[in-house]
Amino acid sequence: MRAHPAEYKLVAPGTLTAVLSLLARDPGVWLPIAGGTDVMVQYSAGKLPARKLVSIWNLPELRRIEVSADEVRIGAGCTYTDLREHEIVNSEFALLTSAASWTGGIANQNRGTIGGNIVNASPAADSLPALLVYDAELLLVSAQGERRVPYANFHIDYRKTRLAPGELVRAVCLQKQFSGYYAHARKAGARNAQAIAKVCLAALGRMAEGAVEDIRLAMGSVAPVPIRLIETERIVKGKQIDPQLIQLAKTSAAAEVRPIDDIRSTPRYRAAVAGNLVAEFLEHLGARGSRNENGKDVLARWNELPSLEAAQNILPCCGSKAWARGMADRRPIFDGAALLAACDEIWKSLRESDWLEAFRSHPRIGESRSPASAPAQSAAWSGGEQQKVAAAGEDVKVALNEGNRAYEQRFKRIFIVCAAGKSAPEILEILQRRLQNDEKTELHEAAEQQRQIAHLRLKKWLSS
Amino acid sequence: MKNTPIVGTSVPRMEGRDKVTGHSRYVDDMVLPGMLYGATVRSRIPRGKIRKITFAPAIDWNEFVIVSPRDIPGKNCIALIEDDQPCLADGIVNHPEEPLLLLAHPDRHLLPKAVEAVSIEYDPLPAIFTMEESEAQSQIIWGADNIFKSYLIEKGDVDAVWQNADHIVEAEYTTGAQEQLYIENNGMIASFDPQQGLTVWGSLQCPYYVHKALMKLFGLPADRVRVVQMETGGAFGGKEEYPSMIAAHAALLAMKSGKPVKIIYDRMEDMAATTKRHPSRTRHRTAVAKDGRILAGEIDFTIDGGAYKTLSPVVLSRGAIHAGGPYYWPSVRIRAKAVATNAPPHGAFRGFGAPQSLFALERHMDRIAQVVGLSPAEIRRRNFLKPGQTTTTGQTVNEAIDLSKLLDRALELSEYDSKKNKFAQENQQGRRKKGVGIAAFLHGAGFTGAGERFLGSVVGVEACDDGSLRILVSSTEFGQGTNTALCQIVAEALSLRYEDVAIAQPDTQEVPNSGPTVASRTVMVVGKLVQSAAVGIRKTLTASGMLEESYSPEEFRAACRAYVAEHGKLRSFVQYEQPDDIVWDEEKYRGSAYAAFAWAVYIAEVTVDLTTYSVAVDDFVALQEIGKVLHPVLAKGQIIGGVAQGIGFALYEKVVWEQGRMQNGQMTNYIMPTSADLPPIRVYFEELGNIHGAFGAKGIGELPMDGPAPAIINAIEDALHVPFNSIPLLPEDIFAALSESAVLEALVPSARGDR
Amino acid sequence: MNESSEQRAKCEISFTVNGKLQTVHAYPMERLLDVLRHELGLTGTKEGCGEGECGSCSVLIDGLLVNSCLIPILQASGAKIVTIEGLATDGRLQFLQQSFLECGGAQCGICTPGMILAAYHLLSKKPQPTLEEIREGLSGNLCRCTGYMQIVEAVAEAARLGAVR
Repeated sequence: MRAHPAEYKLVAPGTLTAVLSLLARDPGVWLPIAGGTDVMVQYSAGKLPARKLVSIWNLPELRRIEVSADEVRIGAGCTYTDLREHEIVNSEFALLTSAASWTGGIANQNRGTIGGNIVNASPAADSLPALLVYDAELLLVSAQGERRVPYANFHIDYRKTRLAPGELVRAVCLQKQFSGYYAHARKAGARNAQAIAKVCLAALGRMAEGAVEDIRLAMGSVAPVPIRLIETERIVKGKQIDPQLIQLAKTSAAAEVRPIDDIRSTPRYRAAVAGNLVAEFLEHLGARGSRNENGKDVLARWNELPSLEAAQNILPCCGSKAWARGMADRRPIFDGAALLAACDEIWKSLRESDWLEAFRSHPRIGESRSPASAPAQSAAWSGGEQQKVAAAGEDVKVALNEGNRAYEQRFKRIFIVCAAGKSAPEILEILQRRLQNDEKTELHEAAEQQRQIAHLRLKKWLSS
Repeated sequence: MKNTPIVGTSVPRMEGRDKVTGHSRYVDDMVLPGMLYGATVRSRIPRGKIRKITFAPAIDWNEFVIVSPRDIPGKNCIALIEDDQPCLADGIVNHPEEPLLLLAHPDRHLLPKAVEAVSIEYDPLPAIFTMEESEAQSQIIWGADNIFKSYLIEKGDVDAVWQNADHIVEAEYTTGAQEQLYIENNGMIASFDPQQGLTVWGSLQCPYYVHKALMKLFGLPADRVRVVQMETGGAFGGKEEYPSMIAAHAALLAMKSGKPVKIIYDRMEDMAATTKRHPSRTRHRTAVAKDGRILAGEIDFTIDGGAYKTLSPVVLSRGAIHAGGPYYWPSVRIRAKAVATNAPPHGAFRGFGAPQSLFALERHMDRIAQVVGLSPAEIRRRNFLKPGQTTTTGQTVNEAIDLSKLLDRALELSEYDSKKNKFAQENQQGRRKKGVGIAAFLHGAGFTGAGERFLGSVVGVEACDDGSLRILVSSTEFGQGTNTALCQIVAEALSLRYEDVAIAQPDTQEVPNSGPTVASRTVMVVGKLVQSAAVGIRKTLTASGMLEESYSPEEFRAACRAYVAEHGKLRSFVQYEQPDDIVWDEEKYRGSAYAAFAWAVYIAEVTVDLTTYSVAVDDFVALQEIGKVLHPVLAKGQIIGGVAQGIGFALYEKVVWEQGRMQNGQMTNYIMPTSADLPPIRVYFEELGNIHGAFGAKGIGELPMDGPAPAIINAIEDALHVPFNSIPLLPEDIFAALSESAVLEALVPSARGDR
Repeated sequence: MNESSEQRAKCEISFTVNGKLQTVHAYPMERLLDVLRHELGLTGTKEGCGEGECGSCSVLIDGLLVNSCLIPILQASGAKIVTIEGLATDGRLQFLQQSFLECGGAQCGICTPGMILAAYHLLSKKPQPTLEEIREGLSGNLCRCTGYMQIVEAVAEAARLGAVR
């Protein structure tokens, strides 16, 4: 700790009005401190120039989230945890909550505020690109009154904003107009948690009639301030998403950013990754289209995907890559019955190694964790299918455990059963019966179970 | 007697309860009456002469205790292998952050400003920062030639082989510095009494290293210096030699002020000023037969020791001896040297030279495999040492280790073959490339060669008034389980209960010198001695007639009480004696280097994401043969923790240097893995036993550090078909290598509609 | 009072720690970590980095996990603080403390107080977390000794025992 606490003054007037009049009385003297996750780090390092601080932590006027018909107003004093836990912010402004979830660890999310992130104005700040794509507006307040400014004009240089002396950010205002958009965010950091961004992307896209109707791309850590990739957006808007467009957008993005060399990364890396992140977003946008488009059929969309995407998209239903490729090759498929029929035909035609691959995508009965290689959707479905097992009593779980191990010892793979709707004792009975099977019979029984699982999942997939 | 085994069972950690309730006492938790706080004024330049020191007038210096080199009563050095490192630089500085002056004050908040207020004017001298610059010798910064130490290990006749080799494989591999990053920073408290002498309490691994250094610095006899280890929050070698320096500083301030003095580093100071793993460069030139057998090799192993000798010769020694790995080399020439640069001296860090040379070797094996046209598994199989064969130093492998079988088991546990095939298929599409990689290696436990004989470790066991036993060793606990394992050994040896045994706090006033807590020697070497000392207690009791041949724990305790009541005390001391089968030639550097080797095969599975060029380790299998598992939970914890540090060494932990100074000395910028970054690490043991270790145990503390980095980089090459020979390997490095070649385009075809 | 001594003024700040009301006379910008350790003698909370990265200074303020090295004491006024010393009640170890002992979750012990509090906080919000959720919940607490696995196992075990009631 390299600062002497005696040299600092910290007051906590307790109301917004009192804080504002203090700021007005002595302009440029008092540094507001909210959660302290930036200010206190500078202070401890002995690098905080300010000597007088005024606490705005937990001021009720700043720490509320107001939802009206068109707008969500997020108080500047809201913490990242507040954002993550708010249902409307989560559903309407997912890019903001995902940024909140990858800022620091839980302890810092409990203290760090959106207002602090904005005013601190680091180009690497996690939440700022999201504010750009959401066309956020800021409510600024001082003893003189309030004003409302677009966030896009607010952050003007490295750690510099248009905040006037005596002013505080009171709230962030977001319009509820993005539910028809596909939202995508990704951060490249040095590790999976507690990492300052080397490059980050917040993106929104909306498709109409097979072309990009609207696209918004904002990036952090690639310039002195977070930026919208205006030029790249212009190239993409109105076009169909194909490999040529993606390559153009990638090159444009890499050229549009102005990254620096610093202790964390290099400019060439940042530019290349910027391009890659934009390309990745467009690939996803092209594959998924609009999230909430009404009247469009899952199958119709799936029929239009490139072959590899189509296979990847349907893979979680079964786990065998050969099966997924086979299904993709059968397109176009126009109804659920034909889909299930194709599933069965292909499944029967596969080799043993493909069946085994499908088996391996499941967790053991009774375990909550899928193999690391299983797609997230598959893992989520496994969890649902095994619901009754998860709720079973201890002795049954122990018996299942033992049975699993005996099965694995015997057959050298995990026990596969279509668990949905079956209770744990039922499954245990089936397991014990099948332990007596010979190799060949057992393989076919397992394959049949896998086919049933695939049917269940295909039905879910159709209604997703 | 007793039926429940204690050795082999996961008994509760001896000092565990205090740790989980927040009652353990680390050095910063202790306060002494009248205590002052100390701070260090350090050099800002890498090399130069001190022209002038000015104390800014704004500070009231009368309030401060100031210590300069003139205040040192004995020799101004931190005694270690050589006396070249000053305790306080006097007139000339040789690295950034070198200590120059010490300050103390009752108010710790006043110290940072005071340190800033001391200005030093220098006449800078040209400084060198790389091994290559040091070797070029255009600037001589140490000794006559910048070389701290060199070794030559020779076996067979290397030169005769080159003409007949089917293949000659050459490459160079480098590893960077690595910070130990114990979560508790270095700290010491010292107190000086003109009659009693000097006492220091602190975070440390080796009380007697500190004791020896303080004796020399103060010119005090052994019984007027007392060193006490407090609960230590992680060490990993980073508190092997460095504590002598900070202890010396606290002690000097204590002596000058007549008051106790506490020095606790903050993270920035600890990172910038204290030791790191030696950077290394290894050059391999290997003659290989058509069938993949190694015929001969030249290995050039160089490490960067920083500005002073400290422990570099020993790091060099271990690195050189391990440079040949678990393979049979009919002929080999290993040239090893440690060179000086103007950086803070590099020092001990888990593995101690072996992670560096084994990284090079295990990468090189994969390269040899490619040249010869064999798989990574097969090339190793064909070269593994077999019982009866000799290592690079001519040590005969005299245990029944079957490395091929160990490899088989690791391959099976990791599903290596099926993954390799699957990934080869899947990698043809998409931006995520997966790979698997192997590392096979060994790690010698205990001090090298004659080292243990030279140490002559002494241990004691004594009976307490209540009849329980207390172990007396200077071996320290810092998380690895010293307290628990040694108590298990005594309890098992005497058929007592775990609760009947305790261990004394390492205090040089109370315990003999059982050697430093390093080199994976505690359980194996010290444990064996402790076992003997315990048996000595029993022999004394039975000889005295107070204990029957067969007894219960209660009867044993009663006998101890009775003996102590009659004779005043009951103690048993044992000193290390070198076994006859460990013969080492220090001149030629040949013979039996270690009493025991642990053997291992590690397999890493990675995904390289070509969107961000980052690498995730998805699965890790760590299989090792370690003699005897004394405590399953502790042993597993050692392996997992070591693998985690190895993953950091490979992929995350980069020290950014500028002019010899670490620039990223904060936890935000020096990246170690969080819980979100590591896969479940699967640990498996084999137990062959070991005649030289307690209950057949071998040392395992450092072993897990050797394998992860090469296994991971091998896996990355498997994924990308691009070789990387330098760690840490960051996404920026992967990107740079890929974009330089046309490889990137080939890996991820972009503007084509051919999906 | 003139400017500089006004600046140097300490103030009285009250809060509860582990259920007990405490009043300290401190500079408002003293770190909560230092007040706990030096004023109140509660040395179970540790300093590992001073920059909010390592989590060894973690405490609970009004039920929320925070890094006490980043909190000026004035902002803790009126708060309910829980430190590691407040977890074992009547000498009976909390399930978490017990499972840390059994699973090898504590090696050198320096990260352990913060880690246990982070786990406690996680379980109070998610009594039955998945392994992924445990890893995420602890990702702000660095451990150099264990490689995290045995810590995650300890938390999962405590969850199984119904740790947080």
